[in-house]
Amino acid sequence: MNSGSAVKFEKVSKRFRTPKGTWYQALANLEFEVEAGQFVALVGPTGCGKSTALTLLAGLEQPSIGKVTVNGQEVHDIDTSTGFVFQHDATFPWMNVYSNIAAGPKFRKVKDHDALVKSWIAKVGLTGFENNYPHQLSGGMKKRVALAQSLINEPSLLLMDEPFSALDVQTRSIMTDELMGLWEQTKSTVLFVTHDLEEAIALADRVIVLTAGPAQVKADFKIDLPRPRKARDIRFTPEFLAIYHKIWNVLRDEVDLAYQRQLIAPSGKK
Amino acid sequence: MAEEYLSDQEIKRRNTTHRIKVHSLQLGFAVLLMGTWQILADKKILDPFFYGRPTGVLHQLKVWVQNGTSIGSLWVNAWVTFYEATYGFFAGVILGIIFGVFLARNKTAAEIFAPYIKVSNSIPRVVLGSIFVLWLGLGSISKVALAFVLVFFPVFFNAFQGTREADNKLISNARLLGASKRDVLRRVIFPSALSWITASMHVSFGFALIGAIVGEFLGAQRGLGLLIATAQGNFNPNGVYAAMVLIAIMALSAEFLITKLEDRLLNWRPTQVSGSEL
Ligand SMILES: Nc1ncnc2c1ncn2[C@@H]1O[C@H](COP(=O)(O)OP(=O)(O)OP(=O)(O)O)[C@@H](O)[C@H]1O
Ligand SMILES: [Mg+2]
Repeated sequence: MNSGSAVKFEKVSKRFRTPKGTWYQALANLEFEVEAGQFVALVGPTGCGKSTALTLLAGLEQPSIGKVTVNGQEVHDIDTSTGFVFQHDATFPWMNVYSNIAAGPKFRKVKDHDALVKSWIAKVGLTGFENNYPHQLSGGMKKRVALAQSLINEPSLLLMDEPFSALDVQTRSIMTDELMGLWEQTKSTVLFVTHDLEEAIALADRVIVLTAGPAQVKADFKIDLPRPRKARDIRFTPEFLAIYHKIWNVLRDEVDLAYQRQLIAPSGKK
Repeated sequence: MAEEYLSDQEIKRRNTTHRIKVHSLQLGFAVLLMGTWQILADKKILDPFFYGRPTGVLHQLKVWVQNGTSIGSLWVNAWVTFYEATYGFFAGVILGIIFGVFLARNKTAAEIFAPYIKVSNSIPRVVLGSIFVLWLGLGSISKVALAFVLVFFPVFFNAFQGTREADNKLISNARLLGASKRDVLRRVIFPSALSWITASMHVSFGFALIGAIVGEFLGAQRGLGLLIATAQGNFNPNGVYAAMVLIAIMALSAEFLITKLEDRLLNWRPTQVSGSEL
C-alpha cells in the first residue's frame, strides 16, 4: 500500500520570502497520499497553498522541509511524465493554436503526430482556429488550448490547477465529461484543484479539504458515487446533495477564517 | 448611424485618401522648409558661403554623380561606407545576441563580468576609433571595428534584459512538455527576447553608420566620412549636406528592411502602432 502511492507528501512545509523580507508559511506539515489511478480534488480557501502543493509535485519548487514523492521517487526536478495545467495562462504567445498543442509531441520527438494534434484540436472544439495566436483567442479558448497541450502527452500524473475556471457553464460541463471519459480510459493519477465543490464531487474519488493557510489536511472525504458518472445529471441526486452538505460544512469554516483574515490584514498594518 | 458594414472597397478608398493626405502634407512641409532656406540664402540673410542652399546641394550631387568626387567615384565611396557599417552591424548584432543570451542564462558568469561590462559601457566608445586606426590602419577594418563596438553594447544589453524577462512559467511549462535545454532556448527564451532584440536593432544601424563615418573622419582613404571631411576642409557646406543626404538614404533603407524583418519575426504580437505610423 505504502509503496503503491502515486503521490506522497511527508511532513511537507514550504515558506516563501515576502517582499518585506519576512517569511510567509504556505504549507505546514502537509501530509497525504494518493493511490495510483485515483482522481483527487483539492479544495480550500483562496491563498491557502493549493497551487504551491502542485508546484512541489511538479518539481518546479522544492519543499523547505519534508519530502514529496511521486511514484516512489523523491521529486528533485521536473519530470516529463507529469502533466501540469497551470492556473494562469501558460500558452506560448508566439505559437498558434496548432503549434501550442503540438509542442509536447514535438519536444518528445513523437513521429507523425499531425493526426494526433488535429484530433486534440477537435476534442477541445478549436477546429478552424488552428492558425490563431493566443492573443486572438478568448479566455476560455486559451484554457482549452492549455488542456489539450497537457493531455495530449498522456501524463501518468496529471496536475490541474483550476483548469475550468475561465470556461462558460456549457463548455465546462462538456469538458468535465470529456475529462472523465479520458481519465476512465487512461486511469492516470489526477490532482485537481478547484473552488467549485460541485465540480470536485462530480469528478473525484476523494475530496481533500485544506485549512486556511498554511495548508494542512482538514478533512478527507471518499466519494462513493457510482461510475461512469455524468456530471450534468449527478448533481441532483440525493446522495450527491448529502455529501455536498457534509463537505461544505467543513469547508465553510476555513473559507470564513480566510475571509476574516483578509478583512483584518489591511487595517492590521500599523 | 451606420445601417450597413462599410464595403471593403469603401474602407480601401478611405485608407488611400488618408494616406494621400498625409503624404502630401509631409511633402508640403519639406517644400516649405527647403523653400524658406533657399529664399533666406538667396537674400543673403543666411550666408550661402557658410550655410549652403538647397539648389547648391542638388548641384553638388549632380556633379558627384556625373564627374565623380575629388576622392574617386561617388558610388565607390558610398559603397565603402555602406559595407563598413553593414559588417559592423551584423558582427555586433550576432555577437551581442550570443553574449547577451549566454550571460543572462549563466548567473555566475554574469556576476563575474558585470563590473567589466559596466566599465566598458561607460567609456565613450567613439574614442576607440583612434585606437582602432592605430592598430588596424587606415583601411576598412578599423571602421568595421568601431561600428561593431557601437552596435554590440545596445544589442547585448537588450538581449540580456529580454532573456532575463522570459517568463519562468513558460519555461517550466515547456520543460514539463518535454523540451530539452536547446528547445527551451530556441522555442521559449529566444522568441520572448526577440522583441527586445529587434528594438535595439532599430537604433543599431544608425550607430553602425556613425561608427563607419567617424572612423573615416579619423583617417581613411575612401568613404562618405572622408568626403565630408574633405568638403569641410574646402569650405563647401553643400558637399557636407549632399553626403548627409546619401547617408540618410542608407539609414532609411536599412530601417525599412529591419521593420520588414521585425514584422515577419514578430507576427504573433497584437498589432500595434509602429514608428512609421506615429
Ligand atoms: N513565490 C512566492 N513568493 C512569496 N509568496 C508566495 C509565493 N507563492 C505563493 N506565495 C504565497 O503562498 C500562499 C499560497 O499561495 P497559493 O498560490 O498556493 O494559493 P492557492 O491556494 O493556490 O490560492 P488560489 O485558490 O487563490 O489560487 C499565498 O498567500 C501566496 O501569497
Ligand atoms: Mg492557486
